[in-house]
Amino acid sequence: MIRIGGVLVSPGEGGVYGERMIGSYRVWDPRRSKLAALALLGSEIDLAPEMRVLYLGAANGTTVSHVADYVEVVYAVEFAPRPMQDLLEVCRRRRNIVPIMADAGRPERYAGIVEEVDLLYMDVAQPDQAGIALRNLLFLRKGGTLVLMLKTRSVDVTQSPQDVLEETVRTLTAGGLSIRETRWLEPYHRDHAAIVCEAIK
Amino acid sequence: MERYWFGEIEGGQCRPIAADPAAVARRLEELGPSLLRPDWTLAQSCGVVEDRAGYIALLGRSCIELARAQVATELSGPDVELLQMVRTLDETDHVVNLLLERAVDWQAVLDPGFTRKYRQGGKALAGRIRRSPSPALRQVGAEIESLGEMRTRLMREVSRRADQVMPNTSALVGGLVAARLMAEAGGLLALARMPAGTIQVLGARTALFSHIRGGAPSPKHGVIFQHRRVHNAGKEVRGRVARVLAAKLAIAARIDLYRGELDPAFIDRAQARIDAAGVEG
Repeated sequence: MIRIGGVLVSPGEGGVYGERMIGSYRVWDPRRSKLAALALLGSEIDLAPEMRVLYLGAANGTTVSHVADYVEVVYAVEFAPRPMQDLLEVCRRRRNIVPIMADAGRPERYAGIVEEVDLLYMDVAQPDQAGIALRNLLFLRKGGTLVLMLKTRSVDVTQSPQDVLEETVRTLTAGGLSIRETRWLEPYHRDHAAIVCEAIK
Repeated sequence: MERYWFGEIEGGQCRPIAADPAAVARRLEELGPSLLRPDWTLAQSCGVVEDRAGYIALLGRSCIELARAQVATELSGPDVELLQMVRTLDETDHVVNLLLERAVDWQAVLDPGFTRKYRQGGKALAGRIRRSPSPALRQVGAEIESLGEMRTRLMREVSRRADQVMPNTSALVGGLVAARLMAEAGGLLALARMPAGTIQVLGARTALFSHIRGGAPSPKHGVIFQHRRVHNAGKEVRGRVARVLAAKLAIAARIDLYRGELDPAFIDRAQARIDAAGVEG
């Protein structure tokens, strides 16, 4: 991913959500986007021009728009109608985003739309985040990458974030994934961890 | 036969569908889960698209069309606007209280003899502020008063709408409390799917979480405390009234969602049970 003087950016048309520009590059703020935080904190993950991405929990399209600047196509799944309205406006301007209004926990509903992808990115506020990831593995090619942004507070507020992370890692490993790295997103996001895995199946 | 969003393949023969976003959106809507995972090269050999860019463009436009229609359907429910009205009502209360609090402090600076003791509620205070020597403060007072009037009108409208959208729930606890419950749940569908135990403590989030985290006693009631039969009940029976009321509300919400009209027989039985729960001893 591109950095200009230590600032993470993405190449594309600006003005999506009032982001700052550096020349023709859009500044990608780690406080607003967990993927930007992960990249700035030194993760090895990268976005390449030929990549196909399935993005679960697209929300109002802030992070999606940056991902779309880098990759070939993004399949963006979002369940709630209000954020979907914003996402549709982003799709209208960025032709490589395919919006899907569906529940990420029921991938059979969009199995006829999404092709095999290189990256499965997940940022959903649900208790069963690991389960949702495993159910969506059918879209991920062998050797492909899963990035799961774990909102530990959505899983169980009464458990410590560390325990939630360990439990999730165990579930993912048992589901046939090889964990490449786990990283807390401090200081940008509290109680959020990123889990990067490889599909070995 | 193999079904894809771009056509049907049978014995190596492909029957493509028209390369038109509206037609594709209809197909996705109708066949949804029965479609197979696509491979774009099949769409190309089918003759639906010329190249990879064409594939993404057609699929993208079709999905935008479908998602637009789905958003419109989601937002067309009668409870969707009511939910915004309830939230606006609560925000208005918040704003009026904040402004009044500040205006009182302001007035106290101008008039050393001014105090809010022994004055009945916000209305009297607002009246005093409107006669303030400071023109700027008078303007603030006028705005507070007109916000108060707006609030009253909005409250009546919420109550009236709730009577239509959720007649049974409203019959049990009144339109305003019914609407607040629905807003707290996030919609009529969400409310109708909740167990009575959850409805009982809707709106008591802080109390509920300090209970779950340990130590604190469980909350007996949330939003339903605003209903007279709960807050007028004696301390000994209040928990019971709340529980019975919540149980009947759970049923009422389901009738409202699936039937949408008043069921007088159910209401009579439910009212009798709730009243009986309030009898001491």
